[in-house]
Order: sequence, then C-alpha cells, then structure tokens
Amino acid sequence: MSSAVNEFIRSFFLVELLKGLRLTGRNLFKRKVTIQYPEEKAPQSPRFRGLHALRRYPNGEERCIACKLCEAVCPALAITIESEPREDGQRRTTRYDIDLFKCIYCGFCEESCPVDSIVETRIHEYHMEARGENIITKQALLAIGDKYEQQLARDRAMDAPYR
Amino acid sequence: MGDIRSYTMNFGPQHPAAHGVLRLVLEMEGEVIRRADPHVGLLHRATEKLAESKPYNQSIGYMDRLDYVSMMCNEHGYVLAIEKLLGVTPPRRARYIRVLFDEITRILNHLMWLGAHGLDVGAMTVFLYCFREREDLMDCYEAVSGARMHATYYRPGGVYRDLPAQMPRYEPSPYRSDADLERLNAARQGSLLDFIEEFTERFPACVDEYETLLTDNRIWKQRLVGIGTVTPERALELGFTGPMLRGSGVEWDLRKSQPYEVYDELDFDIPVGSNGDCYDRYLVRVEEMRQSNRIIRQCVEWLRNNPGPVMIDDHKIVPPTREEMKDDMESLIHHFKLFTEGYCVPEGEAYAAVEAPKGEFGCYIVSDGANKPYRLKVRAPGFAHLAAMDEMARGHMLADVVALIGTQDIVFGEIDR
Amino acid sequence: MSDAQNEFVEQLAELFGDRLADCSASLGMVTVEVAPKDVYGVLKELRDHPDMRFEQLSDLCAVDYAAYGQGEWITEQATGSGFSRGVRGNSFARLGLTGVYGVDEISGNTARRFAVVYHLLSVSGNRRLRVRTYCEDDNFPVVDSVVSLWAGANWFEREAFDLYGVIFDGHPDLRRLLTDYGFVGHPFRKDFPLIGNVEVRYNEEKGRVVYEPVSIEPRVLVPRVVREDSRYADPAARENAGNG
Repeated sequence: MSSAVNEFIRSFFLVELLKGLRLTGRNLFKRKVTIQYPEEKAPQSPRFRGLHALRRYPNGEERCIACKLCEAVCPALAITIESEPREDGQRRTTRYDIDLFKCIYCGFCEESCPVDSIVETRIHEYHMEARGENIITKQALLAIGDKYEQQLARDRAMDAPYR
Repeated sequence: MGDIRSYTMNFGPQHPAAHGVLRLVLEMEGEVIRRADPHVGLLHRATEKLAESKPYNQSIGYMDRLDYVSMMCNEHGYVLAIEKLLGVTPPRRARYIRVLFDEITRILNHLMWLGAHGLDVGAMTVFLYCFREREDLMDCYEAVSGARMHATYYRPGGVYRDLPAQMPRYEPSPYRSDADLERLNAARQGSLLDFIEEFTERFPACVDEYETLLTDNRIWKQRLVGIGTVTPERALELGFTGPMLRGSGVEWDLRKSQPYEVYDELDFDIPVGSNGDCYDRYLVRVEEMRQSNRIIRQCVEWLRNNPGPVMIDDHKIVPPTREEMKDDMESLIHHFKLFTEGYCVPEGEAYAAVEAPKGEFGCYIVSDGANKPYRLKVRAPGFAHLAAMDEMARGHMLADVVALIGTQDIVFGEIDR
Repeated sequence: MSDAQNEFVEQLAELFGDRLADCSASLGMVTVEVAPKDVYGVLKELRDHPDMRFEQLSDLCAVDYAAYGQGEWITEQATGSGFSRGVRGNSFARLGLTGVYGVDEISGNTARRFAVVYHLLSVSGNRRLRVRTYCEDDNFPVVDSVVSLWAGANWFEREAFDLYGVIFDGHPDLRRLLTDYGFVGHPFRKDFPLIGNVEVRYNEEKGRVVYEPVSIEPRVLVPRVVREDSRYADPAARENAGNG
C-alpha cells in the first residue's frame, strides 16, 4: 500500500523528470568538452593514417625504387605504378598515382614499403575541387613529403620501436 | 461510410530514423502496421565476393567496414577464422589486447546505439553525452592503430603493433590558457593504458548519468515497455543473438559459453532480461557497458604487468619486423613474399564466431589451399534481427517501428555486406 | 579432435545411418553431408531429437564449387621460360574481362557445384554442427526450404537464392534480397565477373537512369596461387608417398 502511494507521489511530482533536468542543469554550467575546431585540433597519434606522401632521402634522392609492393598489397587497387630505368641506370617510377576515392586508408602501403618511401601523413583535411583531382600524382606526393618531412621523420622515429 | 482501407507506406531509404539505407514497405491499417517488408541491399558492396579476389590479409580492412560501429570485433571474427585454418594461436599479450579492444568496441557500439536510440525516441541530451565518451574511446583507437574507426589492427597471428607508451596530447593554442591545456592533457601524460584506466574510472558515473536521464523516464518507458516482445523460444528460432536474445531471457553469450581468446580468465557477468521487450534490451545493453568496463579494467591490469610479443614468430604468416627486414636477406624475402602473394592457407573450412556488440558475428571461410579465400560468408547478427522486423512490428503503431529499428541496433554495413 | 567430438560423430552416425553421406570432425566442428532429398528430414530431427536440440540456425549459405582448387599460377615446376606470370586472363577473378567464362570450364553436370551449408547451434547443448548438401542439378539447383523449421532461415535462403540462384522449395516468399530491383544473374557464382556486367548512370538526354555495359577495367595484381605446403600436409599421406 505504502509503495503504491509512494509511486503515485513520485509519478505525480515528476520526480524522475526533475532528476534528469537537474543532471542537464548541472552540465549546463560545467566546463565545455568541445574544442574550437578548426583553430584548435584534437590530439593526433603519430600512427595517424591520413593523406599519402612520398619521402626522399636526406640527400634529396627519392626513396621509391618501384618495387611495386604497395601496388600489390593495396586492397582497393588504388595505386598505379609504372617504372623505367633512369638515365643513371637506377630503377625509378615514371608514374605513381594514388586514387584517393578508392583508397581505404588501411596503411598497408606504408607497412609494406621496404624503404619507408610511401607514408601516410597526419593530413586529414583536404578536398578536391574538380573531377580528376582525386588522382594524386608522383610530383604531388613528393611535394607533400618534402613539405612535411620533419613531422614524418619524427612520427616514424616515434613509432619505430613498435614496428 | 466506407470501410477503412489499408494502405502502403514507404519508410526510407532516406529517413533519419532508418539508421542508414533501410527501405521499409509498411502495409498500414490506420496507424497500425499489418505487414512490414524491409527492402535491404542498398549498401550491398559484395564484400564476400571481393574477399575472394584478395589475399587473406587484404580483406581485414573491409571487415571494419561491415558493422562500422563495432569495427575491431568484425576483424576479430575474420582473423579468428583464418587462425583456425592456419592452426596458429597468437601470444597471450595479443589476446589480451584483442579482448581489451573488443570491449572498448562494445562500449563504443553501445554508446552509439544508446545515443541514436534515444534520439529516435525523442531524447536529445543522451546523444550528446554518449558522443562525449565515444570521443575518448576513439582516441584509444587512433592511438593504437592510427585510425579513429577503420583500424585494420588485428592480424592473423596477433595484432599489428603493441600499445603505445605515450598518449597523444593536445597542442597549445591561442584559445586555451596553460592551465586549461594542462587540464585537458591531465589524463594523457602516461601511456595508452593509463588513459584507458582513467576512462574506466569515470565511465561508470557516465553510465549512471545516462540511466538518470532514461531508465525511469516516463516518456522513455512509454515508448519502450511492451514494444517488440519476443519470447525466448521464438528468439532462438528467429536466429537472434547477443542482447536481442539475452533481452528475451536466454542466457547465451559466446564469451561465457564458448570462450575465445582469454575470456575464460576474466571475471564478468552476463545480464539477462525477462520480458523480451525493447526496454529489457535497453537494460541489458546498459549493463553490458558496465560489464565491459569491468573487463577492460582487468585487461589493463594484466597488460601492465606482462610485456611481451604481440605477434607470433612465424614469418611464413606474419612479416618480420622492419629492423629485421632491413638487416637480413631472408627476412626481406619473407617481407616481399607476404606483401605480394600473402600466405597459403591449408585446405579446409572453418567457422569462427565472436560475441560482437550486436550478437554473434561469424565468419565461415572455405579454403582450397590458395592465398585467397575460396568462399567467405559473414554471418552478421543484424541480418537475422532485421529479418524478424515483420514479426516484431505487426500490430504495433507506426511510431513503434522507430523504436524497433533502434532496439535492433541496425547497421547496414553488416546487413547488406 | 576431442573425445566429445568423436562421440558426437558416432552419435550422429548412429542416429541417421545411411542418410549421412559423410560425417567428420575437423577444426573444432563436426560436418555432416546429406543428400538434398534427405536434408529436410535430417534437419528436422536435428532440431527435435532430445539428444540434438539444435534450436538455432546460425547461418545458412550457398557455396559455388565450380572453381575449387584452381590457381592462376603454375607452381609445380619451373620451365625453361620460368614461372608463368600468373596473368592468365580467363581466371574466375577476371571473368568477363576476356569474354570467356572465368572458370576453366564448367563441366556438364557434376552434381557437386552448388552446396548449401547450414550452421546449427544448440544453445542447450552448447555445440555447433555444420550440415552440407550438394544440389543435384547444377543448372537448376533446388533444396527444400527450412523456413518451417527455423523462421530465421527466411532471409538467409533469400540471400542464397539471390546470390547463387539456389531455389528453396517451399519458401514462402523467395524474392531477391540484396541485389538491385531487376538485377540479372546471380552475382556470387564463380562465372559472374567481379566487375559485374552492367553499370548505371543518369542519361541527361533521356532524362532517366540507363544501364550500360561496364566500362571499368579489371585489375588483378596478385594471382591466385595454390601451393602444396609440406607443413600442412597430412603426416600419414606423406608417409605413404614416401613408401611408394
């Protein structure tokens, strides 16, 4: 009997709703958990897998030797490589295209690369403005690599003990 | 006056409460549903056929994209099936890491489910709170694998990399004072395990918050209690698994009954409902989050004290470390062989099932001895659940369909595959 | 193989006798092979028999065995010209690329092409069982539907019908499930090209969506390789070979 009365009072005075409101009320005055994106960024892991880049050796020589491991291992068939011997007889790529629409950012290309050439950078905010820009060429990839080399080297060094 | 004629209504495929691309053809009589015919397949990507054309490892990334809110659990089912065929067992540390991330995934999934279910039924706040906690878990995903969702982290023979000793931190910015930054980074000073432990300490209070908002709430109860009731016998016949089955009162959890990895060494309970309605399934899932939290704590504890390898040492199956690969010719050959051809899996067939957040996620692989699966069948839990939509929705009101879709925890990535 | 599994195999053999074409345990699961005419009866008994009680059908799927064991790369012997490069165009992964059937040849009627595989789960007995049945006619594969035994089989059978063209006799509503409305063919068959046959696009002149032959180019970068691996060879068979 008393429990039924109790139940009625609780129900009549909207106890559970008021409890919920008290909770949201408290949260209203709490410190915000959001951040001021894009001025402020969330933390990013050195393992982050974003836009691709091709790296060079410190002496400026491109690392890629056209072994085509990344092409073979790419689950989405996003990478297309053509290669020819250069004038000095070294084997180099003449074409290295990545189709960003096909890429699933699994990181296998980076994992497979025996010379740490193809890497996935921390860049994740990029866009295309026209058709065809989704295919990113060797020159563009090398340019990204040049621009972020310091960061890339630091991230690789940080993660080296685990790989 | 004429009779009330039944009419047919089209729900979706573009409907915010359809959780993706579900098209429901509803035969209505007034506001009451007489027949529900889900049309699925709008997200069909033929993952199983694609997997037949790729070496085993290359499909791991596609498993993430099946049930795209419980990513690592899907990978787990797939690599377990391969490991069964290969006859390898990963090192203990890798198995603990897998369990740790399976449970993190379970919380991730249930938070997504709770938020979306709440939103569908009319509760906005809980959605925001759930995403607040999801963010931290996503950070764990990113710290360990480099991706916030599609991790591609599990491999046959272990996991790709060990847990990082340092958690990424917030960078200084003009919008934050130093004290503010310090507060944000307080939990990120140590390793990933420290971060996870800190999370497990405050998470139960967060679950209490969700419960304060929902469990006793009269609107929530009015929308869920007595909706979509399924008897235990019927639930079994319909192929229900996971919380859908446990909500009906069947105590069945693969983690307990057919333990894989190290679940038999961990201490946790299986919540079971009694009425088999949406509300019981809600209670089961909420309790599962608490239990997952418990498991995570035990895993963190173990992982702290037991460093070791996270991959088996068999270079016919897993590639050598980068250092070895660069030093040693034989390792380089293994490296090239594994990243081109992959490994050949002995002829046979295996079915491996894991208790994914939504239910039994099974992978059936037929191998003919090649480097690619001959046939891969993914048994997605949501598939069986959605198939029962017609039965569950019959006789309910149109608005209850939304509650049903929510309670089934539908994700089209796994249903359409 | 554990004792419990051996016992289970014996139990099954005793219960069904001649109706089992094969019964064996491997990789932690017992597999039973049944002729399609017996499959309904055997499954019904598996569900209802007090020693079996498989209350749940975990999974039902079809398998197309047309290309089983076919690799694209000759691995047995090196020839004067070296290994083949694994680029044979008519492999099933590339079917439709060359206009020929992907499988080397689909022989008349093997009665072993399409199989339906059931994965049963007994919650009360905590065990699983795999039941396989080969359809008798490759050109018109038919199996009895088990929807009346497990309601959950409904969509699984629709899926198998959709993707493999296996007909389930007695199914209440055998429609396509996953593919597009009006789709032609059964896409998971080994003679169906991975890239498909048609693609759709919006035609502005006609003001509607039109179907056209596929334009994308198929690429296979890693050939399918079947290797004899001594590590996995059956020790008994190896010994016999050594003696012979």
